[in-house]
This record gives sequence, structure tokens and C-alpha cells, in this order.
Amino acid sequence: MAVKIDADKCGHIDNCPVQGLCIKLCEQGAIIEEDGDVKIVPENCDDCDLCIQNCPNQAISKA
Amino acid sequence: MFNIERTGEEKRILSYADKKCVGCGICTEACPTSSLRLGPLVPIARGLIEMDLISVNQDSCVFCGLCSVACPFDALDLTIDGESIKDMGNYPFWETESEVDEEDCIYCGRCNEVCPRDSIIFERNLPNPADLVRGEIDIDKDKCIYCSFCADMCPAGAIKIENIPTSTVDKVNNSIEVDISKCIFCGVCKRVCPENAIKQICATCMLADEIEVPEVTGKTIILEDSCVNCSWCSEICPKDAITVVKPFEGTLELSENEEEEKICKGDSCHACQDVCPCNAVTIVDGKSVTDLTFCNLCGACVTACPQDIRILSRTSMKLTNINSESWNEILNTLIGK
Repeated sequence: MAVKIDADKCGHIDNCPVQGLCIKLCEQGAIIEEDGDVKIVPENCDDCDLCIQNCPNQAISKA
Repeated sequence: MFNIERTGEEKRILSYADKKCVGCGICTEACPTSSLRLGPLVPIARGLIEMDLISVNQDSCVFCGLCSVACPFDALDLTIDGESIKDMGNYPFWETESEVDEEDCIYCGRCNEVCPRDSIIFERNLPNPADLVRGEIDIDKDKCIYCSFCADMCPAGAIKIENIPTSTVDKVNNSIEVDISKCIFCGVCKRVCPENAIKQICATCMLADEIEVPEVTGKTIILEDSCVNCSWCSEICPKDAITVVKPFEGTLELSENEEEEKICKGDSCHACQDVCPCNAVTIVDGKSVTDLTFCNLCGACVTACPQDIRILSRTSMKLTNINSESWNEILNTLIGK
């Protein structure tokens, strides 16, 4: 099912208070950095929802 | 760490000691003005963000002190004109404890090894063998051929030979020393020496009265500052020398719901394990398992779980001396009453 990121709310690494907290939290490699932005790799997502719960901008939700 | 104060007829200071805080959020539940906020537990526990586990809104805090008495870990303290309300006698206090009975402690150090909070100071002083056994080992360096039989067979590992030669006639750069603090005067070296170079004089019989009775001394101290009453120490103590009184009794269960897709993701997530101050959570076969023996029912894992499937049910608590009806009502919500 994976997750989706609201591009308007997302800090896009540079403006994220923790410079890409979701990337750092996800140990499945389902959220990665690509070209300086956040990218979701749906096939790696385990639906643990850690990213949803912890995003400082509430930019992540269920896909 | 914060300190906020209000001055007026009396001076009230609310202070927060981050070292004692476990991120359970009990203070935020107890605060009647919603002035305390719990920070992002998992990122903090994983070291991704450096910040306090809780923060306070200084403008809305009324300095009532409810948070400080509700905290089972003494991380918050309200003082009125310099005196902590917990010492005043008319405010509630926790009857939790973690104490070592020094009389029974054998200084094995196991509690120190298992403590998840590094809260146990442990020191052990063993007797010096040289004080317990008296004697002399005399090696005749002229006779010694540095064959190393004695060193190889010494059960105490007390003999050190350096530069063992390939040729027994080369004695020039050799040394043989007996470490008298390790020697147990058993006489093995003397018996195996092919050159009869070792003399052993054991004087234990003559000086029996002067020889010390072996005694192990030490100290084991549980630091209140960081102890969370998890009871690892008391469970592992082979002498039952440690008493731990936990803040709560109750249960903590996983309540998965496949239909709503609320399922423990185990190794992918392990948020519960990371925030647990008690080392009570492990991931077994892909699922979170909490050992209630070591859990203090603080509830940090319940907040941290992104699936919201941890059901904490506290049935009693060690908070006592609640004299105000309104405080009683608020504080009793901690145990679901």
C-alpha cells in the first residue's frame, strides 16, 4: 500500500527541520534521497507508518 | 532541561531534569492547562534529533505542580520559595524504590551489567593473595636453564620467562620472575624443575595466625537520578539483596487488527524497543514482545508505536498521599479510574 508525500507540506530535505527525517527513520529503504529530494520506493515499504507518525510537517500519509 | 519561574507572593520554580525523563508522557496527561508537550520520541531515542523529551509553554503553565507529583521518575520538580512540594508533606509522593541491602550483597556485579540505565555504581575489592599466603620462591639463576617447564605448569600463571632460547646454553638475555601476588605456593614449579633450581619456602604454618581471612569488600549503589525501577537488578541478583518497588501494576498487550491493517511490523519498525527505558522489549519472530517482569508500565512504547496497537492497562500505582479531590480525580486517570 505504501505511503505518499504531500509535496506542498514536505520540507524537501533542505527545509525539513531534520533534513529528511523520514529517510533517516525508514530502515527498509522505502524512502530515499534522490536528486536532493525525497523519493518513495513503494516496493520496499512495510507499512510500519513510522514516517507518517514522525514527519515534522505532517506531509506523509497512506497512499 | 528547563527551569521556569513565577514570582509574586511566593516564588514558584518548575524544573525539568532531562536525565531522569523517560518520555512516558504522564506529565502531559496530568497537566490541567495542557502546557506540557511530548517531543518526537523515536527520533530522539535514535539520536536523530537532539532535544528534550518534553517542552513547556511558560505562558500557560500555572505552576500548580501536578506534573511534578505525577511523574514517577522525579524528572519534574516544583519548588515554592525554595522547598520542593514533594518534601512538604501535604503533597502526593511516590512510594517507589530500588535499594541494595549491603549486608547481603556479595559484589558479584551482575546488577551493574544488566542495568539498562547505567544507574548502578559498583566496586569490588578482592583480597591480595600475597596477604593470604606467606612464602618465598627462590630461583637459582645460575642453575636455571630457562626451559620454561615451571612457567608452563604453574597453575596460577605466576612465572614469567622472557626470551626462551632455542639453545639451552644461551642464557644471556633471559629473565625469570615470579609474581608473588599471583603465587599460591603450591610447589609445582619446584617439583618440575629439571635442574633443581627452585626452592620453595612456604611459611603458612608458622605464620598462620597472621594470615588474613579472605574478605571481599565493595559497594553497590543505585543512583536515584537515573533509575527507573525496572527491576532488572533485583531479578538478576543471586542473593535477593535488591528490593525494587515499581510505580505501577498492570498489563501491556499487543492488540493487532488485521482488518484495519493495524499490525506489528517488528524488525522494520522497533520503535517500542528503541524508546523503552527498561530494555523490556524484544522483537521475537517479527513481533514486539514485552517482558512485564522488567517493564515499569511507563507507556513510552504505547506513544511511540505508529500502529497504535499497544494496550496499556494499569491497575494500581504507588502514588500516595493524594489529599485534594480534584487532584485525585486527575491522578487516578493514570490507572484508568
